[in-house]
Amino acid sequence: MAIAGTSVRSRLGDVSMLRFLDLGIIGAVYAICGLGLLMIYSSSRARLEGQGISPLYFVERQVAAMFLGTILMVVLVLVDYRKIRDFSLAGYALSVASLVLVLSPLGDRSKGTQGWFALPMGFQLQPSEFAKVFLIIGLAGFAYQFMGEFDARRLLLVLGIAAVPIGLVLLQPDLGTAMVLGVITLAVVAAAGARVRDLLVIGLIGLVAVVGVVKMGVLAEYQVNRLTSFISPDADVSGAGYNTEQSKTAIGNGGLTGRGLFEGSQTEGAFVPEQHTDFIFTAVGEELGFAGAATLLLLFAFLVWRIWRSAALASDGFGTLVCIGVMAMFVFQIFENVGMTMGIMPVTGIPLPFMSYGGTSIMVSFAAIGLVLNIQMRRFS
Amino acid sequence: MNAPAADARVRLSIIGVIVFALFCALFTRLWFLQVASAGDYRSAAISNRVREVQSQAPRGRILDRNGNVLVDNVITNAVTIDRNTDPDDLEVVVDRLSEILEMTPDAIRGRLNDQRISQYAPVPIQTDVSIETITYIEEHSDELPGVDTAALAVRRYPNGTLAAHVLGYVGEISDEELAKRGGDYLLGQTIGKSGTEYAYEDQLRGKPSVERVEIDAHGDVVRVVDRKEAERGHDVVLSLDLGVQQVAEETLADAMTRVRTLQNKDQREKFETFNAPVGSVVVLDADTGGVVAMASSPTFDPNEFVNGIPTTTWEYLNDKENYYPLNNRAAEGLYAPGSVFKIVSGVAGMRAGVVTPYSTVVDEGKIWIADRYFFNAGNVAHGTVDLRQAMVVSSDVYFYSIGYELWRKHRRGEPGGDATQETAREWGFGSPTGIEIGGDPKGRVPDAAWKQAVHDERPDAFPYPDWQPGDSTGLAIGQGDLLVSPLQLACAYAALANGGSVPEPRVGARVVDDEGKVVKNVAPKTKGTIDIPPDQKAQLERGLEGVVADPSGTAAPAFSGFPFNEVRVAGKTGTAQRQGQQNTSLFVGWTESAAGRYVVAVVIEEAGYGASVAAPVARRVMEAVNGLPLTDLRIQASSGND
Repeated sequence: MAIAGTSVRSRLGDVSMLRFLDLGIIGAVYAICGLGLLMIYSSSRARLEGQGISPLYFVERQVAAMFLGTILMVVLVLVDYRKIRDFSLAGYALSVASLVLVLSPLGDRSKGTQGWFALPMGFQLQPSEFAKVFLIIGLAGFAYQFMGEFDARRLLLVLGIAAVPIGLVLLQPDLGTAMVLGVITLAVVAAAGARVRDLLVIGLIGLVAVVGVVKMGVLAEYQVNRLTSFISPDADVSGAGYNTEQSKTAIGNGGLTGRGLFEGSQTEGAFVPEQHTDFIFTAVGEELGFAGAATLLLLFAFLVWRIWRSAALASDGFGTLVCIGVMAMFVFQIFENVGMTMGIMPVTGIPLPFMSYGGTSIMVSFAAIGLVLNIQMRRFS
Repeated sequence: MNAPAADARVRLSIIGVIVFALFCALFTRLWFLQVASAGDYRSAAISNRVREVQSQAPRGRILDRNGNVLVDNVITNAVTIDRNTDPDDLEVVVDRLSEILEMTPDAIRGRLNDQRISQYAPVPIQTDVSIETITYIEEHSDELPGVDTAALAVRRYPNGTLAAHVLGYVGEISDEELAKRGGDYLLGQTIGKSGTEYAYEDQLRGKPSVERVEIDAHGDVVRVVDRKEAERGHDVVLSLDLGVQQVAEETLADAMTRVRTLQNKDQREKFETFNAPVGSVVVLDADTGGVVAMASSPTFDPNEFVNGIPTTTWEYLNDKENYYPLNNRAAEGLYAPGSVFKIVSGVAGMRAGVVTPYSTVVDEGKIWIADRYFFNAGNVAHGTVDLRQAMVVSSDVYFYSIGYELWRKHRRGEPGGDATQETAREWGFGSPTGIEIGGDPKGRVPDAAWKQAVHDERPDAFPYPDWQPGDSTGLAIGQGDLLVSPLQLACAYAALANGGSVPEPRVGARVVDDEGKVVKNVAPKTKGTIDIPPDQKAQLERGLEGVVADPSGTAAPAFSGFPFNEVRVAGKTGTAQRQGQQNTSLFVGWTESAAGRYVVAVVIEEAGYGASVAAPVARRVMEAVNGLPLTDLRIQASSGND
């Protein structure tokens, strides 16, 4: 009876846990996604129509990616995260392998970065995006064993685990994603109990590494220009500083209440480069104004708070660390992306979660949310 | 709670605080951009996307005093291309158009790349396109993406060369004009370059249409924000009389052609005919200074300038060989006036007291002054002459003696020594006339100071620093270093005709809007006044009337049969010598009748005696301005000595 009872509970458990699902997170995610679709449409339709392509081209593909992302999220909610934990190292290895493979001739090059696999129907897969989630799981799966007992050897081991994918991503070269991976690592070891002194050292090393990468000529020239034009954006308004200048103008043009949906001259006039991808925030800023942009930031803040809460509620160290990793990933991406459109962060190609056009980014973000929901939902078991 | 768990809580809290701080930073920056300094970014965004496209208004017309159209606009069909057409399409379009318009593809590309045309407006490729071609293009618009047709207003001078110098011409604004005019004009726009087109540019131009268009990052026009319609320029009504102008030009041209077949008998060493390369006629309303006719030969056709003047034409017009047809000789030409200047030296002599209206001089055909003889033209002796007779027969000796007496006063430092110069300046010589169409030189009234100055400057070319007797006598008969324009002569005679005011000549009479309502009247202006005692004036006028009406008058043959009972005529012939050239033929005079008082001045270079050529031309013009039947032009081949 007891055995049967256990088996029934364990089978039903997967379903009954769903009552603990954080609907706030799900609501925030889909609200952001909806806004994202609207802004992708607004910022890309003029350009697409100009090329004789359906103005819904990007929207349709983004919806497809969200659908796939949702499936991925559902799967990751239903499978107990502790089972995932057991496969953390295997996932990590898979991710590293894909990062190696993308550097081979099987990978595709775009805008100076060797970082894509071409899929049928024109879709692309970006292994560095998936590496974020696999690194979170991998680091958490390793570090949770030493929660609060982080000596130098263990710390170095954790850093070694992180260094491999970071190094491979830098070889593409994709400094933005490498920075995301670095921040994830820093957050996970901080939460896992690394000493403050060590954390400062790691942070310093990370900073030196970024500067070194910029100086060493690993990046494509345009990437360096975009990064450094942040220091003095007025030096070259039509060149590298153009992005930032047009992007700030678009956001400023929005004012308190915005110019109205499809009414933003910067947006509809296609003045902001990469607006439906990395600079999607400028479309929100211009057309929906401070009211819209602040609402979006509040949605993000709410989402981040719920993830932080999940980290605090998690029933074990692994859960806490995964949630902290996911939160670090989102926070850094939001801060860097929104900050760059407003001219307070250097320009790097980091997507705004759930907003920027880009299939892989959407799917990875959903997967990360799936993990958080999973951990929070099973906080009592 | 165990120690590691408590530590984990603290760490999570710290991470939470950091995240909170980061979001605060984003909100602060967002507030700063969108609320605190929104205005700056708003204007940056507006200037980012709104561009102004100006197109010029049709220019106002130019009419003569009776409302005849001298300058207007015609609507011509133009073919345009939109620069923002897809580049691949554009290649094909250029090839197809080059066949349709019979232009080379390079010529079309040249127009397309013309930076003077606004980037946001269609580029005119060809104007004056036939209606058949326009129809063809409109029917085949599917095959010609970006190509359109437009109606353009183009300047037209229906009478061709008539009054070309008064009307002037238009052309594309130059860099200098653009700098001078400020932001009011745009590159590639049309502006009046000379004549009335230049002087009344502000009235004729109108207000351009201004279309504000919103553009995107590629420069494609997204939509038209607003549009201010063009306001057509005002019409300018001239004091010019089309009929009189026609007679003046025809008669001048006729006289010049005919005198070129006549022998210059002053040239005794060889046979030569007159060159008569250049001539001019001015007709002024003596009371208002209004220009009734102004002819200058050789001339040009302002229509040639309308769509950009061809280089060969431009070179022709600026070639010395062709005597610079663009120059308005009536206002710009400077000449020694010869005997027509004697009205000034006569008045000066009386003013200085060296002659009275009735005092006489014995004219033996020559006079000994200082160290040599001075001769009459043709060495003819006129006997005893007073002021009147000296005018009628144009006795040089009479005026030589005035000149010499004035020189002696000058040398002794007595008052009146510079009476000729003073009188000349009062009558308007030596300073611009003030005519609004420009080309208005000062001329030159030589005096002792001037002579000293040119000597100081170039002692080799001007060896004598002192005012010599010959300078004074030369000035008295309108020779020497004196230089006057035909228009200055006309103004001086107008002062005599109207009782003493030297007018500032005007071609414009009034500016009217498109409903004919007067916007602005061009008020007559007086440049100065002259004051001659009545007895002197009467005697002077009797002399000038005798020139045309007295049987012994120099212009009597030219005016034979003229109805003096209907129209009073007074005038003076002049024949000016010029070093190395044939004589300049001059006549200046005025008529007085019910029609009004009109001055006529005729000056023809290298054409012989004033009595032979200029006077007959003046007669015919006087007939025209007074509405008399026109007689045939009679060049007086053997006439007179002045």
